[in-house]
Amino acid sequence: MMRDTWQRLRSDPYGMGGLIVVTIFAVVAVCVWTGLLGQGWSEVSGNRYEGVSATHLFGTNLLGQDILNRTLFGTATAFEVGLMVTVCSTLLGTLLGGLAGWYSHGWLDEIILWAKGVLDSIPFYLFAAAVAFALQGNPWAMHLAMIITFWTTTARIIRGEVIRIKEREFIEAARAIGLPGLKTVFRHVLPNTVHILLVQGTIVFVAAINTEVILSFLGLGIQDGVSWGLMLAESSQEVLAGHFGNFIAAGASLFLLLMGFNLLADALQDALDMRRLPG
Amino acid sequence: MNTPALSVKNLSVWFETESGRIPVVDRVGFSINAGDATGLVGESGCGKTMTAMAILGLLPSTGVSVRADAIEINGRDIYNLNARQRRAVLGRDIAMIFQQPATALDPVFTMGQQIGAVYKRHFGGSQQHVRQTMLDALRSVGFNHAEDIAAAYPHQLSGGMRQLAMIAMATVCKPAVIIADEPTTALDSSSRALILQKLQHLQTRHQTAILYISHDLAVVRQSCHDVMVMYCGRIMETTDCQSLFSHARHPYSAGLLSCIPRISATRPPPISSIPGQVPAPTDLPAGCHFAPRCTRAETRCRQAVPELDDQNGRGAACFRPL
Repeated sequence: MMRDTWQRLRSDPYGMGGLIVVTIFAVVAVCVWTGLLGQGWSEVSGNRYEGVSATHLFGTNLLGQDILNRTLFGTATAFEVGLMVTVCSTLLGTLLGGLAGWYSHGWLDEIILWAKGVLDSIPFYLFAAAVAFALQGNPWAMHLAMIITFWTTTARIIRGEVIRIKEREFIEAARAIGLPGLKTVFRHVLPNTVHILLVQGTIVFVAAINTEVILSFLGLGIQDGVSWGLMLAESSQEVLAGHFGNFIAAGASLFLLLMGFNLLADALQDALDMRRLPG
Repeated sequence: MNTPALSVKNLSVWFETESGRIPVVDRVGFSINAGDATGLVGESGCGKTMTAMAILGLLPSTGVSVRADAIEINGRDIYNLNARQRRAVLGRDIAMIFQQPATALDPVFTMGQQIGAVYKRHFGGSQQHVRQTMLDALRSVGFNHAEDIAAAYPHQLSGGMRQLAMIAMATVCKPAVIIADEPTTALDSSSRALILQKLQHLQTRHQTAILYISHDLAVVRQSCHDVMVMYCGRIMETTDCQSLFSHARHPYSAGLLSCIPRISATRPPPISSIPGQVPAPTDLPAGCHFAPRCTRAETRCRQAVPELDDQNGRGAACFRPL
């Protein structure tokens, strides 16, 4: 199955392009984490608003910090937020969506749907601000706000899929060989949703990076470190004064990574479509 | 007399609805000896599959109620087991073969993983041992390249191969009883012959008792010694296959037999059908359920329910048998 998927993905030039872009950014992020790149992001290494030069490829900002280093470090921040939010919200969404679907129309389903409805009805940025204030500027407040709100979409999709899958005969067959209900969910129902989770995961990843930028721009995001959102927030004043370094570097990086991820998600969706297979 | 492999006494199933109880299986009883095969035939919706599900205890606990005096495997009652005890029996002592192998197999696991998991669940053992048993099960249904089949995903196999693999899965624990629910309905006729042959082979070799559920009388004739004819949840006639085809006693059995299209060199007679329609379970006629469609029905057929009689082991639930 994985091999078929890979074959289909490889024959999709847009998908492969997306994969390459995402891989390059991922490598940068790993290099930042391991200390190979972007370490001088907070050092003042030049004068304010230097132009493009050999020492400062993207120029410097107001304080004379190297914009390239800050952009590279921002990549790591984006991946950190994206990975953490994607993994946590997908796990939470799968678990709660799976339980809601398996016990659909039971009391557990009612509770989960109610919680989902409540969370969905709160305007997100207001919610993020509330969480940030409630946690007194805790650096994880933004992550938490995203995880709490992003699982609902995954849960909704998984719930629907589980309701569809549990009517299928192989679930009946699993019961006919004496497999207990909850084990059936984890052994046979959820593995059949993996293709959806992969696609949904890439979508959440994109949304998380996007949201981080917006929240950081609003001052609700990254507390220490630098992110593309903080750089864009800085640039909002600078662009008027004619300094485009921050704006172009962060904006272009954001655009490239999100575009790459979207292309990859799209191609994955086609490549993983189980409905194409017989059975 | 030895204990039958499967014995069912007075099994009834109802749907509980807001407008009352709807009977779907009505006081069904039968027994199958080890190494024997019995057919359960009837039109779609007559309660055949419900009977099988009730025997396995797989019906949902809400909306359906099941009553039985006893359901026994080799003399051991399985009707009064709790959920945990029942799960230990399912797959090990009694297994089911499903009608649609394409949908009864999990598409994301290989055949080897799925068959191995059944054995591992009930008997455990080392990975090596489980794999060996799984490969043996595949070989015993006639796969020469068992390793290739074990590595294949269900969608990579043809319909006939899938059903054979399904049989391997049902027999990997060597159960005493196999319920085959329309095992060949989804297959072409040559695959059908192969599947029936393999099942017969397993039946004699492992002394398995098989309950064939089918609407296809040809399948039953080919595979079974005894046969039960079901209509609207009731057993209408129970007899040996030979007698059913040579001399059906119940008018409904006779009607079913006359519906089989025949291949002949001369111009065949027009295909006949039983007049009228199967009544809805919500609206069953009083008395004999078949009376409204029966050419031999008389007043008492519409008033009282005929019970199965006994004529040298052959029974018909009819006041005016043929």
